[in-house]
Amino acid sequence: MPAWLEVAIRSICILIGLFVITKLLGKKQLSKLSFFEYIVGITIGDIAGSMSMDLDIRLTEGITSILIWSLFPVAISIISLRSKKFRDFVEGNSTVFIKNGKILEDNLKKEKYTIDELLEQLRKKDVFRVADVEFATLEANGDLSILLKRAKQPLTIGDIQPYVPEEKEPQTVIMDGEILDEPLATARLNRGWLKQQLDQMGVAVENVFLAQVDSYGQLTVDLYDDRIQVPEPQQKQLLLASMKKAEADFELFALQTNDKEAKQMYEQQAKQMQQLIQNLQPFLL
Amino acid sequence: MTIGSQVKQSLANMKAIHATLQQLALTSTNDEAQRAFHEAMLETEQMIAALKGRISTLEREEPQYKGM
Repeated sequence: MPAWLEVAIRSICILIGLFVITKLLGKKQLSKLSFFEYIVGITIGDIAGSMSMDLDIRLTEGITSILIWSLFPVAISIISLRSKKFRDFVEGNSTVFIKNGKILEDNLKKEKYTIDELLEQLRKKDVFRVADVEFATLEANGDLSILLKRAKQPLTIGDIQPYVPEEKEPQTVIMDGEILDEPLATARLNRGWLKQQLDQMGVAVENVFLAQVDSYGQLTVDLYDDRIQVPEPQQKQLLLASMKKAEADFELFALQTNDKEAKQMYEQQAKQMQQLIQNLQPFLL
Repeated sequence: MTIGSQVKQSLANMKAIHATLQQLALTSTNDEAQRAFHEAMLETEQMIAALKGRISTLEREEPQYKGM
């Protein structure tokens, strides 16, 4: 057998084997959460590489080595799931660098971190003033996690509105001009509805590259032809506007009429509409 | 524009609101939103009924504006 053929056969077999092994190791390996996993990944790759090129290495030896390197981490992760102590030992603990807004110099020294490096890591997280940080910890994988002081945290919608309704994930209903029935069913909609919506926008299914439905049943599309402008869904804004108009109408009628009974009715309706707007506002914004 | 036709316009607006609320109640996948829209829809139904009653009174009082 010529050498090149053997290399080819070996390479293909190892490629398939590696594919199976990576599936076995799972997604955790990809994120390289610990230094150990990082090293395992590199080593397996290196062994596989030299195995496919170096014909002096016998296949049995190489496979033994790869199996040990891949099965050992699997075993470790299984034990880690069971025992917290083992987990701490294998994956390491995080080290607190800043607590109550004060830098812990001893912990910095323990991790051989200089203050410059700490500042650099903070800057990477858009923090330029150490005084803004309430708590910071060095994770086992070397990342710095920080908690800003309450006053320096970014404003969220929950801070301004007491009640914010949940919004479900949007569903992708058209991809490459093809209607996807399963997400459409998840959104409790059907092809007939989709056709009608597209007709309203004046586009054909074939011209749609991507279309998504949000949890209010509003459709947004991206067309192949980027010169065509598609209107944004405005149903909710329009509804809010017409509700406000109705409220104003009722108030106006209440002022204009001389009939006592009608006046009372209009005033009550204006109040009711006001209440309705208040109730629906969180959903319509 | 007479008061009668103004009230009728307002009625049309209310009907549009009712329809939009109904549509949103049907197409929302969020149960909370669905309930809120549905309740609002029922409330607008009452308001529409009240407006209709007022319109028929207006028409009786001023028959010359009937149907406008």
